[in-house]
Amino acid sequence: MTDQTTEQTAEQPVDTAATQDTSGATGSDLAAERIKQLENEGDIAADYLEELLDIADLDGDLDMDVEGDRASVSIVGGDLDKLVGRHGEVLDALQELTRLAVLRETGERSRLMLDIGGHRARRRTVLEGLATDAVEKVKKTGEPVSLQPMTPFERKVVHDVVAGAGLVSDSEGTEPKRYVVVRPAS
Amino acid sequence: MLSEALEHLVRGIVKHPDEVVVRDKQLRRGSLLEVRVHPDDLGKVIGRNGRTATALRTVVNALGGRNGARIDFVDVDRRR
Repeated sequence: MTDQTTEQTAEQPVDTAATQDTSGATGSDLAAERIKQLENEGDIAADYLEELLDIADLDGDLDMDVEGDRASVSIVGGDLDKLVGRHGEVLDALQELTRLAVLRETGERSRLMLDIGGHRARRRTVLEGLATDAVEKVKKTGEPVSLQPMTPFERKVVHDVVAGAGLVSDSEGTEPKRYVVVRPAS
Repeated sequence: MLSEALEHLVRGIVKHPDEVVVRDKQLRRGSLLEVRVHPDDLGKVIGRNGRTATALRTVVNALGGRNGARIDFVDVDRRR
């Protein structure tokens, strides 16, 4: 079983919207409209999270951004480790709830990305390293390489690196033990 | 603080936020947070395969640290 296609439709490449500004008038109107929607998602998310920080008496500043075709919100500063949790499990839970809060307000599913204390950014760097190593190994040996179980976000990072290197990858196993297998280009 | 945080998290995701009530019950084995929501919202706070309920528990227990709490979800029709 492969979920690579579903992951890739659910987790589209991050650079699509960035280039849409250069298209024709209608295209750029649409792109501007989409960016407004995403900024609105970020605002709703920030309100939801800000009040949570308030209630929990946690210090943190919120940064909102639009990255590619999704809203992104980061909470930075202060001691935020407990909001990240082991393997980012609290972060993922909070992201899930935040997406639901956005859905309630907009009526549309959100793919908003939440980061806390730079956790995802750091994890991304580590994963890109792992993926690059796996790609090298597959190129050298011609044999598939299986990686450790990862979350959907993490697998997506790996799939992107592998595709960028011209090899193929898919995911096997079931959550939460789902893992990426890197294969030679067919 | 935990019940207030939970109430905020739930209110933000349901259709009837005004009907969300969280009660903090002290039991012998620790606290129990009982979340009451409008009947139409019960499915929403539980989520597919209990996914939303799990997310709520994960966040609340992270905030509570060692003073973790059990969380029960009931709809407002189930009065005692």
